[in-house]
Amino acid sequence: MKVSRARLLVGLMALASVMGAQAQALDFKPYARGSFSELRKAHAGRPLVIHFWSVTCAPCLAELSDWARIARERKGIDIVFVNVDGERDHVKAGARLEKAGLAGAVHYGFADDFLDRLFFEVDRSWHGDLPFTAMVDAKGALVTVTGPVDEPAIVVWLSKASP
Amino acid sequence: MGWTDRRVELAWTSRAFVLAAAAAVFVIPLAGAETQSALPRPAEAAKGGEGGHAGHQMGAPAAPACLDPLPRCAATAEPAFGPDGTLWLAFPVGEKIYVASSRDSGASFSPPVVAATVNGGVIDANGEARPKIAALPNGTLLVSYTARPEKSYDGEISLVRSTDGGKTFSAPAPLLDSSGQRFDIFLLSPKGRLYAAWLDKRDAAAAKEAGEAFAGSGVAVGWSDDAGKSFAGKKILMDHSCECCRVAAALGPDGQPVFAWRHVYDNNLRDHYVAKLSSDGATLAGGRVSEDEWATGCPHQGPSLAVDAAGTWHVVWFTNGKARRGLFYASSADDGKSFSAPQKFGDDARAPSRAAILFSKGKLYRAWKEFDGATTSLVLQSSKDSGKSWSAPRTVATTAEISDHPLLLAGKAGAYLSWLTKAEGYRLLPLWREGAAAAPQPALAKK
Repeated sequence: MKVSRARLLVGLMALASVMGAQAQALDFKPYARGSFSELRKAHAGRPLVIHFWSVTCAPCLAELSDWARIARERKGIDIVFVNVDGERDHVKAGARLEKAGLAGAVHYGFADDFLDRLFFEVDRSWHGDLPFTAMVDAKGALVTVTGPVDEPAIVVWLSKASP
Repeated sequence: MGWTDRRVELAWTSRAFVLAAAAAVFVIPLAGAETQSALPRPAEAAKGGEGGHAGHQMGAPAAPACLDPLPRCAATAEPAFGPDGTLWLAFPVGEKIYVASSRDSGASFSPPVVAATVNGGVIDANGEARPKIAALPNGTLLVSYTARPEKSYDGEISLVRSTDGGKTFSAPAPLLDSSGQRFDIFLLSPKGRLYAAWLDKRDAAAAKEAGEAFAGSGVAVGWSDDAGKSFAGKKILMDHSCECCRVAAALGPDGQPVFAWRHVYDNNLRDHYVAKLSSDGATLAGGRVSEDEWATGCPHQGPSLAVDAAGTWHVVWFTNGKARRGLFYASSADDGKSFSAPQKFGDDARAPSRAAILFSKGKLYRAWKEFDGATTSLVLQSSKDSGKSWSAPRTVATTAEISDHPLLLAGKAGAYLSWLTKAEGYRLLPLWREGAAAAPQPALAKK
């Protein structure tokens, strides 16, 4: 099969632009079995919020900018975001995070097919409801909340952790 | 640990939403591969390059894909016993649905045959929505599956038939002439009538067209008296079912089907309803099982139903409501006019889920999953007194990796538990022999 040089060049440029776009996409660290306790260990001694969200969860998307504001205002709290969609949606997820002003935050993405186990490791009564937020205070006490960012349990925890 | 691509089904309501705990796995790492699979590799796959379908896994990493035509590469395996006692198994891998048969109750299987290939769509292949198979009295095999576009849940149910003992299958024929259906199930009456039921969005679509609000989906029923060639009825008999949980069905002693599903009540409460089909197939009549006050959203976890010889309905379900949380059982001896108080079962510390219930040869069986953070166990109980008392729960099988929902299945000899696990492959456990399933991991596949 003959391929003209010009066509090959166009193809290579297209490939390069795709690769370039990927390089610019947000970096999602893999979130797998064991990740929850690793995160808790890594942030031990500091208040930690781990927020789970999905691009197909409308309430999650609606409140991403609220989380960006909280991240700006409460510097004393470490906030980690976990996208549950898997790698195929990372570009879409990255675009949503950038739009919400969260490009500079710490992001993880689900990278394990044993979902029951991922949920159980966070909270044995969690079956995957979103939005879902796990909050660990400086002493290591864990509180989990299913629901939006204005849930009283989240609001109260945040103000206690970073007055 | 390998990166894997997963398909997660999502649905939400105003406050929160739930993602399916059951992921349909199309690409899984080969850890534990080649273990205990009873299915031989078919000649067609060996030459046909079954491993070449990884291209549709957008963004999937270079991890080896499991696309062999074997149950362990499938997310679901659906069993059915034929009239001669042959066990038939339908399981989806990639874009194909395979059928294999076993004449020794799952100890060994024939080479799998491709029953259908879906081009340009996604096959519903998770614990709740999955390809089904019915083995009819005249020897006909009927396989159904739902395919939908990559980014929507606008499904279309297709049927394929085999009249040569599963050697070849017909071209797929749509069950309906408009889309919007999912969660299909079959039920074969003793008289040979094949009932089908499914969740149907036709009324929801019409409401949307008219600019009206519409909660959930509808429960539709059809039936075939010509071994699945054609179906009559096919009407939505009750609207506002939850749109992402399986429908359960069982035949009463009179041969009429009874259905159970998660319903959407006022204020988005999603509790269960059980109803019997009238003899003319025109109406469903029954009642609400419980008031669990679950308003969160769709949990992707439907009920299971059994009807005993006296006609009493037995239902098991999962809820995470304000009134109660966990797995529950209730029964109705008056066709759903009233239900017994919900009775909790399962160990709440071990995330009990995915309960199934079956009536077989005078006994009720219920089985469910429990998870301790590493191991998933199937726990079984039985009742000889129509659910008044239950045997002590016992673990009958375990796995350390992902697994399909447990299914209970009635055979001529008695009840079986059917389970597909990624690490061990397909297992069929006979339950009627006392102690037969007491061994933690009966390796039937190795027999």
